[in-house]
Amino acid sequence: MNHAIISCLHANLPAAEAVLNDIDRQGIDTITCLGDLVGYGPQPNEVVELIRKRDIATCQGCWDEDIIDGLNACECSYPSQLAERRGHLAHQWTDDQLTDENKSFLASLPTSLRRDRLLFVHGSPNSQHEYLLPDMDAFAALERVETAGADILFCGHTHQPYVRELRDGSIRVRLQNADHDCDQGEELTLPMRKIVNAGSVGEPRHGSTNATYVIHNDATDEVEIKEVPYDVGQTCQAIVEAGLPKVFAWRLSHGFEFAEQAEDASHVCER
Amino acid sequence: MIERWALVSGLRGDLETYDLIQRDLKKTRGVTSLFVLGDLVGPERNCDALLDRLKNPHRGDLKPDCIYGWWEEQLLAERGFRGERKADALRLSQGEDVVNALLNTVNPSNLNWLASLQFGFIELDCALIHGSSSDVGDNLTSETSPLILLDRLTRLNVNRLFTARSTKQFHLELTGGGINSQVKDLNGKREQQQEVPKRSVIGIGAGLNYTLYDVGSDKTHFLTAGSKTNPKRKGFA
Ligand SMILES: [Zn+2]
Ligand SMILES: [Zn+2]
Repeated sequence: MNHAIISCLHANLPAAEAVLNDIDRQGIDTITCLGDLVGYGPQPNEVVELIRKRDIATCQGCWDEDIIDGLNACECSYPSQLAERRGHLAHQWTDDQLTDENKSFLASLPTSLRRDRLLFVHGSPNSQHEYLLPDMDAFAALERVETAGADILFCGHTHQPYVRELRDGSIRVRLQNADHDCDQGEELTLPMRKIVNAGSVGEPRHGSTNATYVIHNDATDEVEIKEVPYDVGQTCQAIVEAGLPKVFAWRLSHGFEFAEQAEDASHVCER
Repeated sequence: MIERWALVSGLRGDLETYDLIQRDLKKTRGVTSLFVLGDLVGPERNCDALLDRLKNPHRGDLKPDCIYGWWEEQLLAERGFRGERKADALRLSQGEDVVNALLNTVNPSNLNWLASLQFGFIELDCALIHGSSSDVGDNLTSETSPLILLDRLTRLNVNRLFTARSTKQFHLELTGGGINSQVKDLNGKREQQQEVPKRSVIGIGAGLNYTLYDVGSDKTHFLTAGSKTNPKRKGFA
């Protein structure tokens, strides 16, 4: 059966509607959302209400968490101080706009969802704020999936969709302890695991303005990364009219965050 | 200069044990540093005499460099040094009585010193931490999955992690292996091969069981303070 995974809608209603239409057209009715319903974009209430109305299973994103708990993210959430200041502005604006009802919906979201061997999280199983970038250390990536007890880990947060397969892994070890002066060699065979990043519906950063999401077939385990065009201009205009930082509109119209990607995959959020 | 480190943990207020270790170290050739990796305090006995000795070493003591451990974390949390967080982990695992016992083993005048201790040391290409950078209570043993051990080393980007939380003594070396990774995105597919780096996790023991580490030769020696087997053990590895 095909099911769809969406993430990082970021209060971009035209993008969210376009993606849901695309999913509906294919007759897919299981949809899982990996959070970040709000933040950056101009229509936070509308997007939250769309997800609520469609009753889409959703886990809490980093933005959803921060709106509820207040900003206490460690600096790893932002690639630069400039980005951090803009992020704070958007946070304040979103906080002012969101209705209490929508806030309590965001507060009620779980940090992860599990269906059999599939695990759904926003950032990583450790934190909504940890980035699992496509080229991060392969063993560390495998550890995230394995420690969480999943075969396939679905995540978002990086805004760049990818499918990563980790296989043929092994670790050889030698042990010396107080009881055995002699060395004991051993080899651990690592299991094959997958990380699927759903990209971003409302704030793509993969180099194109199209919204992205993924479709997974739970019989074949095949994953398809989908791109959906939508009216970017409409969202950009709404961003400017709302008084949000213009750079968010600029970024949307380029689909790329120049020189401001979170690069340090090894950074572990300690919040 | 050839460095030899002594690594100690889990004293839990036991001055006698610390004294035995100091005596041992006096008789051991070439020890250049003494690291105390946390759990200076514990609920079993009054800890102030040990803390005073650590803060103000006797003449002839090897001067200790201390970090905090799981028990300090519980104590400091309960005493309000960790924001909202209290000694929840201790309360959950051992109950209210032990929390109260712990509070009574340390004079409040020692709390600021305990709170000033660091989480860990990075020395050369080694990390010295009570648990791991993931958590002060991270219980790493030789039975922990090598994948997790490798992750803890990768997080710190060090070649050796000295850990104490498990109270076990072990030296687990990652000696080889690798993994294949294939990434597919909208630009296509790319393959990547990664080797297991040669790295180690060393459990240093607790209480009378301590560890000597020869930095130059990367040899660990697992010792027991006051034990007659020490001379024999000194030469091994
Ligand atoms: Zn996001
Ligand atoms: Zn996020």
